[in-house]
Formats: sequence, structure tokens, C-alpha cells
Amino acid sequence: MTDIETAKIVGTPALEGTYISEMDMWPLECREFNRNYHFYDNLREGRFTTTKCRKCGHIAFPPGVICPKCWSEELEWVDLPKMATVVAVTETQAGAPLGFPSPLIIAWLNFGKDSPIKHLLGRVINCAEGELKDGDEVKFVVFDVPAHPIDVKKETKVCDRVYYAFERVK
Amino acid sequence: MVNKTNAVIVGGGVSKFGVREAHILELFQEAAKACSDDIPRLKPTEIDGLIVCTTMAGRHSSALNTAPLVAHRLGLKPTSICIRIDTLCAGSNSGIIVAKGMIESGIAEVILVTGAEKVYMPQRWETNYTQLAVNDHDWDSAMGLGVPPPFFAMIAKMHMKRYGTTKEQMARVAVANYNYGATNPKGHFYPKTLTMDEALGARLIADPFGLFDCCPLSDGASAVIVASEQRAKDMSDRSLVYIRGTGQHATHSMSAGWPGETLAEWPHLKKAAEVAYKNARVSAKDIDVAQVHDCFTISEIIEVEELGFCKKGEGGDYIASGAINIDGERPINTDGGLLSHGHPFGASGARQSIEICKQLQGRATNQAKDPKIALAHNLSGTCAQHTVLVYGTEPVK
Repeated sequence: MTDIETAKIVGTPALEGTYISEMDMWPLECREFNRNYHFYDNLREGRFTTTKCRKCGHIAFPPGVICPKCWSEELEWVDLPKMATVVAVTETQAGAPLGFPSPLIIAWLNFGKDSPIKHLLGRVINCAEGELKDGDEVKFVVFDVPAHPIDVKKETKVCDRVYYAFERVK
Repeated sequence: MVNKTNAVIVGGGVSKFGVREAHILELFQEAAKACSDDIPRLKPTEIDGLIVCTTMAGRHSSALNTAPLVAHRLGLKPTSICIRIDTLCAGSNSGIIVAKGMIESGIAEVILVTGAEKVYMPQRWETNYTQLAVNDHDWDSAMGLGVPPPFFAMIAKMHMKRYGTTKEQMARVAVANYNYGATNPKGHFYPKTLTMDEALGARLIADPFGLFDCCPLSDGASAVIVASEQRAKDMSDRSLVYIRGTGQHATHSMSAGWPGETLAEWPHLKKAAEVAYKNARVSAKDIDVAQVHDCFTISEIIEVEELGFCKKGEGGDYIASGAINIDGERPINTDGGLLSHGHPFGASGARQSIEICKQLQGRATNQAKDPKIALAHNLSGTCAQHTVLVYGTEPVK
């Protein structure tokens, strides 16, 4: 299945609709389970963000609720660069975790010397096998991923979810 | 220090590694039995501490509080410590570090350190799927990073680009380790030998890796006894093998925290080795025989560089020179390593340390010539943590 098709499923694609959080391939993004839900709200607005410490200025990734450098709780959300350069590519034909389409293209990305994130392992989507080369530019993209149910008192609420990846700049 | 007790590794054993038709608790039992066969005067009632090392037992065998389960199945009633440790691929070498600290501080006297994994599930997809929870789930795993070959393939590409390492040099690692492993009946791929032609002609797994560049996932277990010198002398007449010094360095959990300039530099391993060498009062040149974490052929090449056995960037040449062979300057992975012996994560560290123990007691199947100082190394996660143990025939004076 493609990402667009699996995004319509409520639950874990591998489990055909039954939701077991322990088997989930995506994060629990909703505020009931994640104090960093702002990261995902920002994704929905097309923003790639993280937390910056107001005390020492350190920008951490992934975001957190304390600064990993000075342990201050005084943090603010800042935007990260959305363009990166491909340093190395790997394409998986077989053996990608169930739920991820093949070929699964993963790249080691460099965000440049002025970026608070130096490098990141990123999935590259909407890209044909063999198309992505070292030195290519990629840009940040957001896509829908499967929602999951949560119990709220006697009701079941559905939490919509998004995630991010990168796309080759043509 | 007055009356300092030194911790020693007395002996140990492993279960058969491979795709096993067995429950994880049975694998723990098999390893304990093999350990007791190796130390004939070991009385289970004398074991006061149990350190159980496993990553997947909670998920794959529904055994979250694993240590008491193992204690019950082994008939142990620990009084000093009974815990589980999870540092993935470094599990049981982490256990040996903890055991050393407990014995040298007088909290414990005889500790069984045992590791096991039941990796293979009724449906094969689940094994790969579990890997999403083994990496940093919400970040790298959500990018599709499950089993390690894609990540280490990028490491290999980078090392080839920066330092001119070749597929032939990587194949030399596989050939050496498979041919060591062909003598080891407990190994996953026993009795397979390997030629250069076979290694270079194997089917592609993740470019540039062929099949023999990648270690397997294995079911299996290992168990060692770590004890005070006095208790070791009570249970064995063999020469003592001292845990001289250890180092464990963790720098990050997901890719944004990678500490190297590129993927080809592993400064966190260099640091872990520096700490272990300092504690052991040795330097890289003193290491006579080693067990390094050959999860992929490129790993062993980078490890011999960062451990200081050769210059940075010259790991491929070092391997190709024959230095790691049994008649070379520093035999490495003499029981087959992860590539041939197999890799049940939590069991691998103790499996390495058992081989080191045998080497330093002069009783290994592929025996190096009169080694005095030896080293065991694990990496764990997506090369996020490094663990180094230095052993010797003499204690640190």
C-alpha cells in the first residue's frame, strides 16, 4: 500500500484496523500522551520546529520539555532549516518494516554549518528508485499518517496524525 | 586501597545460536548448563547475584520482569542482586561491568551474568517490526529505520569515499570470521567456511553489502561467572582472568546527535576505548587478542581504527594485511564473531568475553600465541553507544 492508502486506516496497518499502541510505527502525537504535541501541530502548518532554551540558547533536536544542555524548563519553539543536502543514500527493496512501502529510500542529510541540526537521517518520499544521488538537495515535506483511537471517558476519540519526510528538489 | 578484591571472569558457556525451536527461558537454561559444564566445581547455591541481559524478552516472550523468571528457572535465589539490564547489543558486557563493580565493592561475591534473545517469531515480519522499537521510535524509526543494514550501508559508503576502503577489504573480514566460526559448533553458521569469491559474489542486501557482510539475527543465550579472586580459586584451578578496565560511552539516541564529522568517524568508540585503556593501565598496542563488534564487515574495519590498532582510515589495509588472522599480530573474533557465530543481542557481549577468557587461559579452539591482554567491544543501537572491556592475566597493580 502507498502512504496515501495506509493513511486512511484507523490503527496499525499491519494489524488491519485493530489498534495496539505497542505495535504502532508512528508516535503518539496527541496532547493526552505527548507534551511536545506542538511539534506535530507545527507540522500541520508546514513548519519544521524544535525547542530552544531561553537560558543557555541551546537548540535541541528532538524537542523536549527540558534543555538537555542546562536542564532549564524555559523553552521556546523555533523553526529549523527545511532544505538539506544528501550525503549518502540507501534504498531498501526487501526487509523494510511492514507498513513502509518499498523501495524505502533513506538518506543521511546535512543541513549546513549554520544550522542547529548538523545532520539527520531522513526518509525521501515521492522519489523513484535510483533517482536520488549524493549531493542532491532535498526539502522538508509533511504527509498524513494513520490516525489512532483513544478512549475519553465512555467515548472513543480519533487522533489524526501527520509526519515529515523529505523530497528531492528537481 | 586495603584488601582490594579483584573481579575475575571464571568461565562460561553458550547455547547453540541460530533459529532455535525453543522458548527464551529454555535458552537461558541451556547457557547456564553450558556455563556449569565449563566450571565443574561451580555450585548454583553459591551464586549470590544474577544479572539478566535481554532486550526483546519483554516484547517477544511477554517476559517484562525477566530476572526473577530466569532465577526461578535456574533454581537460583539471589541475595545480592537480581536485575535485568538492557543495553541492546552490549547487554551482557554491560552486565559484566556492573558485576565487576559489585564484586570489587564487596556487595557480591559470585554473580551469574547471562544474556539471551528469542528473536524469531511465529511470523517473520514481527522480528523486523520490533526493530522499530529498538531504535529511537518516534524519530529515526518513523523514517523507516528498522533493521540496521541501511544505516551501516551508508557508513560503508562514506568510509569508502573518504578513505578508499574497498569491497575486497570488507570481504576479507567476512572470510576471516567465517573461517574462525567454521570450528565452532555452537555458532549460527557452523560449519560454513567462506572464500573471497563467494563473499564478493553474494546476493546484494543493501549496497555495498552482500549477504556475508551482514551478521544474522540469532536466537541464543550466553552465561558467565564473575567472581572475587578467592571464590574463583575455590571453584576452578585455571589461571585467573582479570577484568582490568572498562569504558562505556553513550552520546545520543537518534541521528541528529551523531558525534562524528561524518558517519565514517566514530569518536564515541575512541573515547570509550580511552577510558577502558586508562582504567586498565594499558594502551592499544598492548592488546594481544580482541573481540570486536562485527555486526557488519565495515564495523570491524572502523573499530580497528578507533580502538587504535592502526591509523584512522587504514582499517581496510590492516585487515587485508592478515593482522587479524590466527598467525597475525592481533587475532580478532577468533570464535567467528557476530558474522558467523551469530547475534542474539543481549547474549553477544558475554559470548565475546567467554572467548577472551579462554584465550587468556590458553584453551581457545583458535588459540592466539600466549596472549596476556585482551579486549572485548560492543556497539549498540544505531552505533549510538560503545562498550569496551579490557581483560588481563594479571590484575592492575
